Amino acid sequence: MPNLLEVRDLSKRFTSAGGPFRKARSMHAVNGVSFDLPERRVIGIVGESGCGKSTLARLILRLIEPSGGAVTFDGDDLLAKSPAQMRKLRARMQMVFQDPYSAIDPRYTLIRAVAEPFEVQGVTPEKPMAEEVAELLEMVGLNPGLATSYPHQISGGQKQRVGIARALALRPSLLVLDEPTASLDVSVQAQIIGLLEDLRAELGLTYLFISHDLSLVKYFCDEILVMYLGRAVEALPDTAAPARHPYTRTLMESTFEPDPKKRRLIAPLEGEVPSPFDLPPGCAFADRCPNASGLCRTETPALSTETGHAVACHHPI
Amino acid sequence: MLSVRDLGVAFGMVQPLSGVSFSVGKGETLGIVGESGSGKSLTAMSVMGLLPLSGGRITGGTVEFDGQDLTKLPERAYRKLRGGRIGLITQNPMTSLDPLKKIGPQVDDVAKLHLGLDAAAARARTEEILGTLRIPEPALICDRYPHQMSGGMKQRIVIAMALTADPDVLIADEPTTALDVTVQAQIIRLLDDLVKDRDLALVLITHDMSVVAQTCDKVVVMYAGRAVEHGPVEAIFDHPRHPYTQALIGCIPRGLVEAKRLTGIEGTVPTVVNYPDGCPFHPRCPRAQAVCATEPPAFSVAGDSAAACHFAEVAHAEPA
Repeated sequence: MPNLLEVRDLSKRFTSAGGPFRKARSMHAVNGVSFDLPERRVIGIVGESGCGKSTLARLILRLIEPSGGAVTFDGDDLLAKSPAQMRKLRARMQMVFQDPYSAIDPRYTLIRAVAEPFEVQGVTPEKPMAEEVAELLEMVGLNPGLATSYPHQISGGQKQRVGIARALALRPSLLVLDEPTASLDVSVQAQIIGLLEDLRAELGLTYLFISHDLSLVKYFCDEILVMYLGRAVEALPDTAAPARHPYTRTLMESTFEPDPKKRRLIAPLEGEVPSPFDLPPGCAFADRCPNASGLCRTETPALSTETGHAVACHHPI
Repeated sequence: MLSVRDLGVAFGMVQPLSGVSFSVGKGETLGIVGESGSGKSLTAMSVMGLLPLSGGRITGGTVEFDGQDLTKLPERAYRKLRGGRIGLITQNPMTSLDPLKKIGPQVDDVAKLHLGLDAAAARARTEEILGTLRIPEPALICDRYPHQMSGGMKQRIVIAMALTADPDVLIADEPTTALDVTVQAQIIRLLDDLVKDRDLALVLITHDMSVVAQTCDKVVVMYAGRAVEHGPVEAIFDHPRHPYTQALIGCIPRGLVEAKRLTGIEGTVPTVVNYPDGCPFHPRCPRAQAVCATEPPAFSVAGDSAAACHFAEVAHAEPA
């Protein structure tokens, strides 16, 4: 399959201006991330809070302007596009947000919410709008009779279905899913994940799936990119691949199995993710890593982008 | 240590909790698991005697702690117990500390109040507890404000406050939900060690079946304000007998181990004002029959575990 999305050395640096009582600081929210996403594949971006996974998603859609790097979508260089061209292109790359409660305007009926993408893009659907919306609602497993309801009249799981219907309205090829189930109960999460699996098969979609939940990513995705403090530290070519980066291993060992027979002795990693401001040189994980050497504290390990199992570590497992 | 029998709670006309029973002994961890709105946190609040704060009252059942029924305990006596012999760890470490007070004085207060120590002895006690929780440089931490610390460290301080008076029972309400997985693993390990080293009775309230599988000895599964199944952790996971427990386990992604499709549960959890009659799960249950809509099911006991389902036996013969 050809690559639908190619991300090269994508970076975003945020700076906070200094003032009389504080000096200027800067942080690299996303730092030199590269990956390829072939058509109809699902890549999972996994990491703890503050690792830059949501920023990465927004950079790819240019909802935030990158500080450097390149994004190619279906052969088009996105960073060379004008805002108007970019807006047109976004019809083919849509996003589903984490919080379905704030992603839909509370004053809009569902029919208006789902019809909004057509208005924004100035597209007239082939069928009458009411029919089109009813079809979209049905596609995401909602009763079309709900079309005249308001968001407060439906449950969180139903709201997330509306969010998916909106994203699908213009028949995109890429869906960026930013923790689409993080605010839902497990039974509802399972419904939504099942729906996304069906839609992918039916419509031939490509997904970029962002999550902090490694078990969910392993279940849902074809390949996995692990992020830590703005960098991609490991690219697992399939979900069965063993961890080669010490951080990935820690992440795997911190994830419990839903089976009391598979209890593990937790040997927790000490410390926590450090502040992303003004990071010292070298590997960002060095201070917490059991394998760290002097080299790790001076030289940042690179992630090789050749095919196969890439890892950014001087001493991989 | 702690034994709850047939607990019921009402807020005015609404009855968000009924028929909840469980018990937990020394050195034992009991998990209370359920989705949002199932009544887990309300159970914790009832045991802590904190219901009047939110306008609720206990309408039935008993909460027995060390031979006395807490539902009949006057508020003054409850104050001695709360934070003394029964400790509580709340869900959000970001809001359970006073942002205007340094850590030291906050933890000292517990020792002063419950152990009657003077300022110097209280500080010594604080530093000792922080030390046992493997918090580096306790004296330095005492001089910090909550906003200067990470989420995991704040949760450790909250645990330290709960432990200062050397309680017999610890109730932890979603202690790791707000934390990242690697920090969650640290806190779970810490709680595990405390149960073993101090012979604590731990009630762990969570929505996460994987956390239950990792840490608990016994489990109570709650749904719509009722306990629907309880038993030893192995029995609950190997042979769940209630259709809800079975479905809940089927909803957990297991990564690559079994690449079978997640089942999900049709519909949503009912809200407290429209709890269905009969069995609360019947509108979503694949096995529901006419009787389920009218008769609340009694517990059917098999070995150490019990399930509140009219067709629990059938459920056992065909584990999902």
